[in-house]
This record gives sequence, structure tokens and C-alpha cells, in this order.
Amino acid sequence: MKLRKSEESVVKTPYTPRVARKFIGAYRPRIDALEKAAGKVEFVDDITLKSRYPGMLYAKVMRSPYAHARIKSIDASAAERLPGVKAVLTCKDPEVASLKPTSAGWTDGVDTVSYERMMWRHFRDRRVLGDHACWATDEVGAVVAAESEQIAEEALRLIKVEWEVLPFVLDPIEAMKPGAPVIHPEIAPRNILPKDVVGGSDVFVDRGDADKGFAKADVVVEALSVHHNATQASLDNWCCLVDWKRDKLTVLSNSYEADQSRMHISQMLGLPINKVRVISSYVGGQFGRGDTGDQPFFLFTALLSKKTGRPVKFRHSRRESFHDSRQPAIYTGKVGAQKDGTITSMYFKSIGNSGAYADHTMFALKFAPTEITEVALAHIPNVRMESYGVYTNKLPACMMRGVGNSQFNLIFGHVVDMLAEKLGMDPIDLALKNFGHEWGTLPDKSLSAVLREGAKRIGWSAKRHKPGAGPVYDRVKKRGVGFSFHPAWHAEWQEARRGEIRIRITVNPDCSVVLDAPTVETGTGSNTCNVLGCAEALAFLGVGPGDIVWPHTVDTETSLKDCVQTDSAVSYLQSEVTARAAREIKARLLEKAAKLMKAVPEDLDIADGRVFRKAAPGKNMTVRDVFRLGDMLPIVVELGCPPNAEKTGVPYIANFAEVEVDTSTGRVQVLKLVVLNDCGTVMYASGAEAQQIGGQVIGVGEALTEEIIYDEATGVPLNFNWIDYKIPTMADMPEIDPALLEVWRGAGEYGACGIGEGTVTCTPRAVLNAIYNAIGARIDDIPVKPEKVLKALGKA
Amino acid sequence: MAKRYGKRAHGTKNTPIKIKINGQLHEFEVGRDLEPETTLSCLLREKLGYTGLKVACDEGACGACTVLMDGKAVLSCMKLAVEAHGHEILTIEGLPESDPVIQAFAKQCEPGYGTALQCGFCTPGFVMTAKALLNENPNPTPEEIKEGLSGNICRCGCYSGIARAVQHASHFFRSGQSAGQASHPAHGIDGKCTEHASRGPAPKGDKR
Repeated sequence: MKLRKSEESVVKTPYTPRVARKFIGAYRPRIDALEKAAGKVEFVDDITLKSRYPGMLYAKVMRSPYAHARIKSIDASAAERLPGVKAVLTCKDPEVASLKPTSAGWTDGVDTVSYERMMWRHFRDRRVLGDHACWATDEVGAVVAAESEQIAEEALRLIKVEWEVLPFVLDPIEAMKPGAPVIHPEIAPRNILPKDVVGGSDVFVDRGDADKGFAKADVVVEALSVHHNATQASLDNWCCLVDWKRDKLTVLSNSYEADQSRMHISQMLGLPINKVRVISSYVGGQFGRGDTGDQPFFLFTALLSKKTGRPVKFRHSRRESFHDSRQPAIYTGKVGAQKDGTITSMYFKSIGNSGAYADHTMFALKFAPTEITEVALAHIPNVRMESYGVYTNKLPACMMRGVGNSQFNLIFGHVVDMLAEKLGMDPIDLALKNFGHEWGTLPDKSLSAVLREGAKRIGWSAKRHKPGAGPVYDRVKKRGVGFSFHPAWHAEWQEARRGEIRIRITVNPDCSVVLDAPTVETGTGSNTCNVLGCAEALAFLGVGPGDIVWPHTVDTETSLKDCVQTDSAVSYLQSEVTARAAREIKARLLEKAAKLMKAVPEDLDIADGRVFRKAAPGKNMTVRDVFRLGDMLPIVVELGCPPNAEKTGVPYIANFAEVEVDTSTGRVQVLKLVVLNDCGTVMYASGAEAQQIGGQVIGVGEALTEEIIYDEATGVPLNFNWIDYKIPTMADMPEIDPALLEVWRGAGEYGACGIGEGTVTCTPRAVLNAIYNAIGARIDDIPVKPEKVLKALGKA
Repeated sequence: MAKRYGKRAHGTKNTPIKIKINGQLHEFEVGRDLEPETTLSCLLREKLGYTGLKVACDEGACGACTVLMDGKAVLSCMKLAVEAHGHEILTIEGLPESDPVIQAFAKQCEPGYGTALQCGFCTPGFVMTAKALLNENPNPTPEEIKEGLSGNICRCGCYSGIARAVQHASHFFRSGQSAGQASHPAHGIDGKCTEHASRGPAPKGDKR
């Protein structure tokens, strides 16, 4: 379809692949594009209509009206008598009260683990339907199953609860002080999460001697940055249907992992693994929601199904889907350098507001920064990091797209920008002088490529001026440019914890292909990567993506273990294994053909759907004929391989922003964003661009508009809705220029690196640095609302 | 004015609610098939199985539940089912896969703009909003597209691809017009929505 002249002017340049490939790296529609555009794909809420499950009941859970309270007594008798109510479970019922204390962070999502091996086993602070409410809207006390959601809600109102209202605390600094209300005294007597086996001690990185490093520095800068708890805001609210018939439990879920959900339910309810079946179909956006999905609501919904003998559906309303959030962090950073820009020492300290439950707090605060130290900070001789996770009575905070990295980038990009200014250097030069990774030399080629390309695309040299000293537009508006950069994650070697990635390829006698590479389809584009990778690897059969079927449903009873949609890594992890499996397919096919062609397999080869003698390519037969004249059995290859652990470092990502600040109103408008990812190998260009562009909605939202607001007097959150929690719409978003690069290369067939999460990571800091460049005043906390700008300008 | 299939009065037990949905006339009895407070989204999804529209916020903030009423975009979570009495409703199930807007959303992969969808949850709402926009304004500028689709949220963030897809679809509408193939762009692609296409813009306040 041709566009008008005015529209043609914005036609953009595609990236140039390093290696020309047939399918990998293509600009093309997603494999599910037409089904999705036509509204044909079905999400869990769609497949669990009452018309499909006529006996289905609806569950609703009681939520605490108080930020911190205990249930002294509970009387559900009136609720039980309400017509249409089929079951009520309360915290006093033995099947509820006997459930083990748990955590919503069993694993970091890459592997499946048991109850004993759960990641944060020292922080088992969650009770399933307990009597202790730790934040306003916490799921506590009772759950009801009824013929309709309205009846269930009415029944909840009839439950009489005597509350013991407890003092609460929202601010982590306040919560750390002696005398503050203590939320989980058995785990954290002063609300500060104790040292743990995974994250390590409070000082969790201590390389060289940071203090001596600062003493050697000619210039030292110190900074503060505060990242808040934005929420994932998937459109597809949490939803599950549990059907517990006789001794077997089936769950339809929109959790992004199936195998771990099965383990969680099996372990918590004491069922054999094969008596729990979890089916995950399409999921309407994930973004880290629910940590690893080890959610108590699966369990109480299951108990209601057991009690009633009927399928029970539980779904969140939008309000209830404000269920978890990014880990807020107050970071202080200090960096010292010699006059020539060589950094001698870095120190970072974070205080994280864990909210009511620990979950993956320490993953964000310690695990992610530790990884960054191993790569980006590898050439800095002295680095110290310390961190404290603190319980408060706020919404629990955990994983969200770019877990821990977004928060760290906010301070990292801050100190780099400040140091460059103090040294009188261009921050690009300062970055290239100091940051790379352990397995490479400085300047890092990947970092250099993303920063140089970003500078070119944003017009860095023309637009960057002294802070606040640029031209004024419309009498009151000032513009500025800024950037931030970050090491990408994850390269294949960083995914070793996953263990085997298992896939199965079936080549049918007509050469049609079924690729069983299970992963829950959350929209990331890995499904299309999978199919492109499979087509690439099986190109010798003469097949293309259209010949390959990829089952989109993960069913723990019939599928292989799903490769969980975490770490932005699924897109290439499965393709690496597929490439190996394809070699086995080829070998099996050659064996079949050798019998028919009266040859030895070594003398034969296959290309474009034909088997031929290497010495006499004219003597050949089609692959289809090999099947047709042979045994007509499909070739099935199932293969599991751990990720390639060869350490290859990581590539870099960066965002460049241009903003316009209205100095009279404080309004910040982002004019342009350039999003740069060195992908190693671009697996699927359109999908990668969609991630780059798409991530900016979260990035710009976190930077400027999205914020959960609490009533300080009561601790009650005030804006659990999408009118007052402001997600950017199309009208709010700037021009976005996505840049895909292939500079770094990892091990393996493709040597790719994940990009999805990282697209969000640098946006807030790039915007903040651009704001500083525009107005010459620093704002340390996001979201940057107009009043903060006016305050920074001394106008409020 | 739109052609009506029943009297304006509705909501009583004795007056059946008549709604034409995707070309088929349905009759509902209040108290038996629906309640006075039943939302249009609930009727369409839960009772009739039109699950293409999604309920993500249930309070008019996200656009995922958008359907067309007499060719105009309405938020079905903010409309009572009884308010649809005498009106024509078009859900995404009423569009053929060959619909130029669906095709444009599906095919968008032009370099620099990404795809027009990722998880696909908001997509039916965007498609229907885009249909209404193009019904009203077959030749929107990029700014008009931004304005017209700013009542819909895509958390995957495919706004660039969506805007591009709508531009492509509008081109299809225009060229279809000149070639005399498609029906008048102000009509629904199924040719069913007719007279009301000349109505003014949708009432303000219907969208975020």
C-alpha cells in the first residue's frame, strides 16, 4: 500500500544484518498477527465463560480496608445463608489455616523449584488468606464462591469482621527508625530484611577499596535518585479457573509460566505433580507481573473448587490488578575520577521499599546490580554497593520489566552525567573511557556503536548545550538532550541457571512441521522468533515459516516444560536448541534417503527439499519422496540443551531523549526518543522494533506520569484505576526512532542477546538528563510532574 | 437519525430490548435475559460470547471494549445494554478478516514502526476505534489519528505501528473510493451502517 507524499517522508531505514539469512532477522508480521488483529485469539477470561462451564462459580476475596490490621474475629454465617453462595472459606478453616507460609517469589522465573528450594525461603512472609493484613487491599480473611460475582461481592459485605487496627508506615526511611510499626516481626524485627543467602550481606559488592579510590580521585560527585513503584498494568487482568474433580486439579491460567505454577500448586496443596494440570494460553501482557506467579489466589480458588465440586473462576477487577509493582528504590551514588576522566571508585547505596511482602525485593536491589558490576563496571577498580530492603504497608513491590536495572540506571546515568559536567567532558567520552565488560577491552565496541549512533540520530552535537543555556522557544520553553546507557541482558551465558531448554520438532511426511517450543505467549514476539529460527534451521527441507505450526498453548500434561518468558531471552534460547535439533533431523533424513538411494548417508546432502549425491547432484530425489516411498513415519527429534555457558560479555543499550520544558507551567514534553539496542543478532526485526518502541510507553510513563498515590493519613491507595494512574496514550508519546545494531556477538548459532526489558531501562534517566540540559536544574525523583519542575526552577 | 428497531422506551419488563448485533436482530427481555444494570460489554461477552471485545478497566479508561454503535465508537463497558435498544452494534466478530483495517493491523511491519500489535489484547478495541475514525474521516492526518485513538491504551506500546496501520488503511479506503470498489468510506466495510455516517462527532466524555 502506497502512502501519500507527506507520509512517505517519514519512511525509515531498515537495519543492516551482519550475516544475510533467509528468515532470521526479517521485517515481517507476527505469526499470530491476523488472528490477533481479527480478535480471534482467546485469552483465559474468554475461554472461561459460563456458557463453556455451565456449573462454574465465581470467587471473590475479602480485602483489607486498613493499611495494617489483624482480624480478631470473623463471622461468615450471614454470607453463607445468602442465596447463590455455594462456599465460604475463612482464615479460621483448617484447610486454609494449615497451608504453609509462602512467598510470591519462589524462583526468578528461569527455573522450576520446590518449596524447600524457593529463592527467598528466608522471607516466607505470606499467608494464604491469613488474618494479618499488611497493606490496604491485601487479600485476607475470607473468600466466597457464588453463582455470580455480584452475589460473591454481596456475600463479602455480609461477613462480620472485628478488626484490630494497627499502626502503619509507608515510608521506608521512617520504617527503619526505632519505634516504627513492625510488619513482619518474626522475619524482620526492625522492618529491614535480614541478610540472605541469595543476595548476600548488606554490602554485597566490595571490590578493591572504594574509600582509597575516592581519595585518589581529583573529582568526586554525589547524587540521589528515587524510583517509585509503577505498576505493570497488563490489560489482561489476572484470571484463573480451577476445576478440582476427584483427585485431580486443572487450572486455566494467564500466568506466564506453567511448569512453575504446577510445582507451586502441587507443593502447597500436597498433590502429586501429575494430578495438577496447568494450561496457559494467550496472555494479554506480562511485564513481570506477579513475580513468578506463585500467587495465593490459585490456592484458595482451588480449595473452593474442592469444597463445591464445581469449577471456580477468580479474576481481578482493574482495581484489584494493582497487585504488584516495580521495586521502588532510593539510591545514593558517589563516583570519583581523575582529571582525564578515569574513574577510580564508585559507591552505590539503595534503600528499597519492599512494601508489605518481600517477594523479589532483594533480586531488584542486589541481584541485578551485582550482574551490572560483573559486566559494565568490570574496569572500575574500586566498587562498593550496599542495600537495604525495608518492609512497609504499601503495595508489594517486585518484578517489573527491567527488574532492578531501571532503578540502578536512574542513579548510574545520573552520576555519569554529573561527573562529565564537572570534568568538562562529553558524557559519551566519559562512558567510553570507563565502561565495557570483563571479557573485552576499552573502549567497548558495542557501547561505542550505540552511543555514536544515538548521538547521530538525536543530533547530539548540534542540540547539546550548556545546562539551561539553550535557546528559548515561545518565550517560556526550553529544550535539551540527554541519554543513558546500560549493559544489555541476557546473553546466553547469563541464562545457565535455566538448565535444559527443551524443544521438539516433528517433520511430517508432507514436510509440514510442528515445532513444540513451549513458552507462554505473552506478546513478546518470541513465538515468531521461534518459527523464523525453525524455518532457518530447516531451510534444507525447502520449508518456510508458513509450513511450521507452533502450538500456542502450554499444557503441562502434554507440552514439554515451558521456557519461561523472563530475562527477555526466550526469543533466541529456543532457536539455539532448534538449530541443533535441525541437524539431527537432517541426519535422520539422510539415513532414510540412503536406503532408498542405495548410498551411504555421508555421500548425500540435502538442499531446497531435495536429497542429492554430493558427487553427482543430478542424482536426487525430493524429501517428500523419501517419506512417500519409505516408511511414511514422521521424523521426531526432541532435544534439550543447557544454554551455552561460554562467557562472552554483553552488548549495550542506550536511549537518547530530546525534551521541551515549559518553564511557566513545568510541563515536560518528550519530543523524540532514540532507542538503541545492540542485539548481537536481530532475530526478528519487526518484533524487536515493537519491543523498542513499545517499551517507551512504560519508560515515559514511569518518567513523567505514572505514580501510585497514597492517602498519608490512612495508608489507603487512591488511584487504583486508569483515570488517575496515567498511562501514556498515543497522543502522549513522542516520535520514537528504534535503532537495531549487531556489533557484539555471543556464542552459539546466533549469539543474540535479549532486548525486551532493556528498552524500558534507560528511558527515565535519558529524559531526566535531557530535562537538566534544558533547564539547568536537577530533579532527583520520578515521575517528573510539573510541580517538581517548578520547584527545581525555584518557582514553587 | 439512525433507523430504530423498536420504540425508544425501554427497560420495562414488558418491552423487549431489540438490538441488531453484527447484522442479526436480537430480542432480550429485561429481568430474564438481562438486568437494567447489565452493561453492553457484559451482554456481548458473557451472555452472547462476543469475546473479541475485552474488558480491561470496566470504567471507560482504556478503550479495549470499544464496539461500533450505528457506526460510532462506543465504550461498551460504559453503556447499559438497554441503551442499545433500537441500535445497530458491530463487534469485531462482525468484520471479515479481509477488512482493510484488520489487514492493515495484521500486516504492519514497515521498518521503523514495529508491529501494530504484540499481545493483542487491546487490538480489537483499537481496530473498532480506527473503523469509527475512518468512517467519520477517511483521510485523517497523523495528528487526527493520534487524537482519534488516544482513548485506547496499548500497554505493549505499539502506538507507532498502530498509527501507521491506520494510515495504510485510510489509503485503502481512499483508493477503494476512487476505484469504485469499496463502499463509501463513511459506511462500515460490511456496508450495513448507512445513514448515521453523516452524524457529527461522538459525544465528548465518551472517551478518556
